[in-house]
Amino acid sequence: MANKSVLFKIKRQASPSTEPFWEEFEVEYRPGLNVISLFMEVAVNPVTRAGKPTTPINYDSNCLEEVCGSCAMLINGKARMGCSALVDNLEQPITIEPFSKFPVIRDLQVDRSVLFENLKAVKAWVPIDGTYALGDGPRILPQVQEQAYQLSQCMSCCCCMEACPQFNESTGFVGAATIAQARLFNMHPTGKVLKQERLAALMGDGGIQECGYAQNCVEACPKDIPLTRSISDVGGDVMKKAILDFFRT
Amino acid sequence: MASTAQSTSSTLPKGVAPLRAGVGNSFLWRRLHSLTGIVPVGLFLLEHFLSNAEALNGVGAYNAQVKFLTGLPFRLGMEIFGIFIPLAFHALYGVYIWWRGENNVIDYPWAGNWFYTVQRYSGILVFAYVTYHIWYMRFAGVHLVDHYDASFWKVQHELSHQLALGIYVVGVIAASWHFGYGLFLFAAKWGIVTGKKAQKRAQAAGIALSILLMLMGLATVYAFVTAEPQKKNPVWDQHSESAPEQSRLIPQSTPSSQAR
Repeated sequence: MANKSVLFKIKRQASPSTEPFWEEFEVEYRPGLNVISLFMEVAVNPVTRAGKPTTPINYDSNCLEEVCGSCAMLINGKARMGCSALVDNLEQPITIEPFSKFPVIRDLQVDRSVLFENLKAVKAWVPIDGTYALGDGPRILPQVQEQAYQLSQCMSCCCCMEACPQFNESTGFVGAATIAQARLFNMHPTGKVLKQERLAALMGDGGIQECGYAQNCVEACPKDIPLTRSISDVGGDVMKKAILDFFRT
Repeated sequence: MASTAQSTSSTLPKGVAPLRAGVGNSFLWRRLHSLTGIVPVGLFLLEHFLSNAEALNGVGAYNAQVKFLTGLPFRLGMEIFGIFIPLAFHALYGVYIWWRGENNVIDYPWAGNWFYTVQRYSGILVFAYVTYHIWYMRFAGVHLVDHYDASFWKVQHELSHQLALGIYVVGVIAASWHFGYGLFLFAAKWGIVTGKKAQKRAQAAGIALSILLMLMGLATVYAFVTAEPQKKNPVWDQHSESAPEQSRLIPQSTPSSQAR
């Protein structure tokens, strides 16, 4: 092959109950390639490097511009988004694996519903449902908006959870994303009505106390969300609640 | 076919469990672990390092400090409820925390993750070291509550063994680090220091305290090793239970090794 090529290997798995296996691929180099475009090349010509015909790679993706949070995977061992992982910046052969702490559905597609369950457990929403119009909501100061905006960028990719040493099956830790979302909705003048419930939820088993402050979450977050700050902030709120509950209930 | 499908489905990975809102007491235990690390265990560590540093002021000063501490009122109560129980809880719950963490510093070699890993393993090291240290210094050999004037000799005698010296150096370094960095972790997790810049400062302060304690501890070890070798007084081998009043009086009537 006269042209430059890109070497990569993928940890694949046909179904949730079958054993994983590795396949190596080689595609022609183009400037600006990212990891998802490598998979697109494989889909065009699903043949391994050894020349063996195979199936196209199964993976979640949607926006391809690091906004939707779908294509999170382990690239050279680190949790990140496939779409923003540029081949030019990656060491070859690129190793691509599904997230290790989430059940594999097929190939790189994993079941991340635990985050949805966690968001439901902390009531990560603003309750406005009612039988009549409530009128305009309270005004939110621009300073609060700025803080809230950062947190609102969370796209549920789960990179913070995958990279967290405390997020595992023995702790059942809730993870940084959910704590940051609890902070976001506690900041909201209407969302605040559920603040005590959110804090109480985060004091249950697997709650905020399981954080070991390794700070991987904030390093891994593709959206640069201030996750450790959120954990400290909510950590303080939770302590205040615990102490007040101790003396006043 | 059906049976194999069934057996595989039962071993399917379920993944990490969602948050158990309103369930369990782990919040209380975990925060108590955090608190006991500062008060009373951390506070005792500071007192202990400072008291031991009396060795830098010589044999007499060191033994006098031991006399002062062992002569405090409610000594046994303070030992049991102020030191032993909180320390044992902090250590045992700490092992449980260490056991459940999944180190991934090879995949994510970032500073905070290194510190996380070191915090866990230094904790285990300190647990092993302190267990040995308490057994040897508090329970085995010459009893210092009865023979305070044997204190300098006992430590020096212990440190004259190469292996013990190594264990003490490692123990001092590990304990200093675990407390200094633990102080930062406490401030960060309890929401005392929350901002990025403020946390950088708090982390630096914690590490500075660690290094200070290390230097203090190592200087103390150095003082024991380089001091003139003390001689053992045969009186020290008498057990207090056989003649408590008498043995308490003997060290005062015989100056023994206190004079250099």
